[in-house]
Amino acid sequence: MKNTEKYLPVIPVLVAYAALLAYGVLIPGKWQIASQLAFYCALGQAFNLFMGMTGYVDFGYVAFLGVGSYGMALPIYHLSDKGLGLWLIVIGIFLAAVFSFILSLAVGAVALRLRGAYFAIATIGVNEGFRFLIEGARIWNGSEGLLFFLHMRTAFGKQTATAISNYWADGMVFAVAIVAAIMTLIYMRNKVGYALTALREDEDAAKVMGINVTKYKITAFITSAVLAGILGATAWSLKYSYVYPSDVFEIHYTVEAIINVLLGGAGTLLGPLVGGIIYGVSKYFLAIILPGFQLLIFAPVIIAIIVLFPEGTVGMLKKKVIGTPLEKYII
Amino acid sequence: MSLLRCENVTKRFGGLVAVDDVTFEIKHGEIMAIVGPNGAGKTTMFNLINGVFPADEGKIWFEDMDVTDFPAYKRAHLGMGRTFQIPRPFSSATVQENIAIGAMFGASGSETSTDMAMEMADHYIDLIGLKEHRDKPAGGLTPIEKKLVEIARALAMKPKLLLMDEAMAGMNPKDIDEMVVFIKHIRDTEGIAIVAMVEHIMRAVAGLAERVIVMHQGALLVDEPTQKALTDPRVIEVYLGKPPEDEHA
Repeated sequence: MKNTEKYLPVIPVLVAYAALLAYGVLIPGKWQIASQLAFYCALGQAFNLFMGMTGYVDFGYVAFLGVGSYGMALPIYHLSDKGLGLWLIVIGIFLAAVFSFILSLAVGAVALRLRGAYFAIATIGVNEGFRFLIEGARIWNGSEGLLFFLHMRTAFGKQTATAISNYWADGMVFAVAIVAAIMTLIYMRNKVGYALTALREDEDAAKVMGINVTKYKITAFITSAVLAGILGATAWSLKYSYVYPSDVFEIHYTVEAIINVLLGGAGTLLGPLVGGIIYGVSKYFLAIILPGFQLLIFAPVIIAIIVLFPEGTVGMLKKKVIGTPLEKYII
Repeated sequence: MSLLRCENVTKRFGGLVAVDDVTFEIKHGEIMAIVGPNGAGKTTMFNLINGVFPADEGKIWFEDMDVTDFPAYKRAHLGMGRTFQIPRPFSSATVQENIAIGAMFGASGSETSTDMAMEMADHYIDLIGLKEHRDKPAGGLTPIEKKLVEIARALAMKPKLLLMDEAMAGMNPKDIDEMVVFIKHIRDTEGIAIVAMVEHIMRAVAGLAERVIVMHQGALLVDEPTQKALTDPRVIEVYLGKPPEDEHA
């Protein structure tokens, strides 16, 4: 396959995100829903990089978003009067990446020695453990969290601070989603992707084929975690100007990530995007049409999709387009 | 210089001694069969040789390098390939991708790009005659086709030693004869040593192997040239029991 041909599937991804962005920008009053959808897509894209490609389910995934949001909150909270201006955001993203990198290395080094369900169970406590650590040991203000609405104004000025919360943070969420999708495609087209496919299908056979499975699992885990960290920093900290441990370590987000990936198709490139939009749109409209009943309706819808298309909507589409010109674009 | 040398290798699972103080050698380019009844320790021996789990005692040398403590993937890099009793292709990947994965991560994997690996895979697809299945997921193949894909995948690793676990189990005599010819062809063209593990298809052993190791209850019973090994009274006893007159002795 020629190099250009290998990377053609990035086109539908970019087109879809551009369309979503255009929908939010061009139609008045739709920016918030567009950015919320982008958040689900980004969450799915980042999670898919690990779960979709390795077949391992990390129930503690939200912890990476959590530490990432602290990575952004801490410099703004403590250094707002140092005249650093927008550099604070750069520092925040860097810290978010570092925090999630360290946490994923620590979790991965221990939990990635376990397989399948054992890995899932081992990770289930990570987010709760972190929340109790922060609350119990009163690290980073403990359960009171960090409120930095005023610090944002001091650091960036009133107008810029408002623009950051209302637009820039959401724009960065789009960027995280696109970067995560591109990373996924790069992995798929290189040795790391083939190694991950092999270990997802049969870890023992993969080892015998000369694949250092631990190395590749950790690579995917860290990449996915760092993207999650940056997502937490932008979608939560920058957008809402506060961080509460009880909010940012909520397992609910891990479950949403899993649903987005499964609805779209684990291990596919377009899957998290499609899954994120299906999930986001149904959640949003069900909450408007039948407030209070949305989960009651939503649960059977998810079950139905997963039973009907066990490989996800994109997984099914991928099979349908084999042999057609679309084959090169949909993976 | 021998290609592989196992020295006093022992493996225990709890109280069960699965492999008991086994010593043998494999020469470059040799075809050897490990035979023995069910439970003799053949598969455990294979797993010890290619590092699926470590030996409790003893040493394993590969080309005069002590690989006793090497994990499976490092042994693969040195040139050990393996096929499984029940074929284990990567089901969602295509036939071409399966074989290319062997080329990408095997003995010459570090200097093989993904594109080169795909080209190498095509060569081995021709060798096993599955050209029309090249772009199909390996999970949908027949058992014999899966077995061939597994062999091709192992060959694409460019091994010096190929361990074949029950390569001919469940095949009819015609397929067995074809497989014997195919394995010999592989040895002659690729110049690799082959260790085939066979439980009871003596037709395959006689046609294929130059030397036979017979295992029984974890221990090495016989290490002889094929004809001598298969007519050895101890080997016959392992498979068929003692002759009736001995029962009263």
